[in-house]
Amino acid sequence: MIAQQIINAVSLGGVYALLALGLAIVFSIVGLINFAHGELMTLSGYALLAALVFGLPFPAAVLVAVSCGALAAVAMERVAFRPMRGASVTSLLLTSFAVSSLLKVVFQNGISARPQAVAMPDWMTGAFSFGDFTIGVGPSISIVVSALALIALELFLRRSVTGTAMRAAAEDFNVVRLMGIPASRIIATAFLLSGLLAGLAAMLWVAQRASVDPLMGFTPVLKAFIAAVVGGLGSLPGAVAGGFLLGIIEVLLQATLPAAVAPYRDAIVLSGVIAVLLVRPQGLIPAVRVQRS
Amino acid sequence: MMLSVEALKIRYGEVEAVRRVDLAVDSGEIIALVGANGAGKSSTLGAIAGLVPAVSGKVVFDGVDITGLAPEAIARKGVSLVPEGRRIFAGLTVADNLRLGGAVHLSASEARAREEEMLELFPILRRYHRVKGGNLSGGEQQMLAIARALMGKPRMVLLDEPSLGLAPQLIDTVFDLIAELRRNGLTILLVEQNVALALEIADRAIVLANGEVVLSGTAKELATSDLVRQAYLGA
Repeated sequence: MIAQQIINAVSLGGVYALLALGLAIVFSIVGLINFAHGELMTLSGYALLAALVFGLPFPAAVLVAVSCGALAAVAMERVAFRPMRGASVTSLLLTSFAVSSLLKVVFQNGISARPQAVAMPDWMTGAFSFGDFTIGVGPSISIVVSALALIALELFLRRSVTGTAMRAAAEDFNVVRLMGIPASRIIATAFLLSGLLAGLAAMLWVAQRASVDPLMGFTPVLKAFIAAVVGGLGSLPGAVAGGFLLGIIEVLLQATLPAAVAPYRDAIVLSGVIAVLLVRPQGLIPAVRVQRS
Repeated sequence: MMLSVEALKIRYGEVEAVRRVDLAVDSGEIIALVGANGAGKSSTLGAIAGLVPAVSGKVVFDGVDITGLAPEAIARKGVSLVPEGRRIFAGLTVADNLRLGGAVHLSASEARAREEEMLELFPILRRYHRVKGGNLSGGEQQMLAIARALMGKPRMVLLDEPSLGLAPQLIDTVFDLIAELRRNGLTILLVEQNVALALEIADRAIVLANGEVVLSGTAKELATSDLVRQAYLGA
């Protein structure tokens, strides 16, 4: 029972961490909090559904869905955010709200306002048993996928030239441009990564629920935003720490709160967030410095 | 002529930072741009590098009009700015700072060879190769900023206040190095508040005041001119 809860907690934390990282990467480079991040998740969910309906095998469908999330993020930047480059933080924020609302309406009217069932393979809903312990396959896969994604991202940011340029751009974007590295390439890569992470998170989210609906991305991305703020907005290690912390606290409260107090879980979590920010206004692991172009 | 700036004008909101600057730099020379704080020196460099938009005027490098190009496009043409305050990437190692300097200009093998040249030229950077830039002293950071700008084998370097905030002994080291770079054929436009030092090293100099060129000539002529002696050299 306890082992099961811990697995669930880490698994939920991993999803929040992936989403919070996506928000943090974009914020660290362009200074934009992308409220349309949730719609990237939703879009990946629908892409998975469509790919499965067209009869693609499950792994291929997942690949298609995650790629759709990444490409949609790049397209979003190209269409909506690039024309706004250099605009104020408020204008960027409003633009992202507009993109978010627009996509939600497209999903509602173009597909359906009601949840659509996604046929997940049977083995994903199974469970392992070790003596008395029962551990779900879904949450275990979720933990492995999150861990691999975090390691891959870390390697990319540390080892590759573009990754190094992105870390530099989070510190001082203009000097990166003085090195001859195009601003557009850095920004497009930031969105590509955030879309990839949102796509992966969507797969893990859908795997637990086996359905997609137009508002699917709202709650997890709201949580991820909270995680990113608690961790230190724009700080990538902070986003990961915040994501895991939030996921673990949510599941543990869910498991331990008496039934009478359980409805107040989110209120208790958010009070915790306020307490953290009172003590550490810059978050748990503050961003080094964010200088915008 | 390698670089020419014609009738450059820069405004920040209501404030006219540069009223009119004309200058020309020949291949292989050091031109010093001197003047008091707020005379428009850094703004001029910023406009050449593409960081600061010009209201009007023209910047021509190697016969090509580069006015209004993005900073990355100008850098690719071979103009490299070492910005005021060094602005090294504090969270990145010395090695990564250097790597970014050559990222778009060189192939992987060229970059390794060039990095080796830079480490020969700046031995201190070899010692701190794996140290984060933010942990270096001011002088070491200035060396790193110059080495990073040189990584991409630029044809011309714009140096903005390389002596700022450095101990006198380090200033000498940095200026010896600038002289050596010039001997190796690099073209340099140097902005410096320390006028005596700038005139020692430069071939020609241009004096800016209130966003306008008030005097220009060879460094020797300016060092003996009454205006410069009274206003900047305290004689």
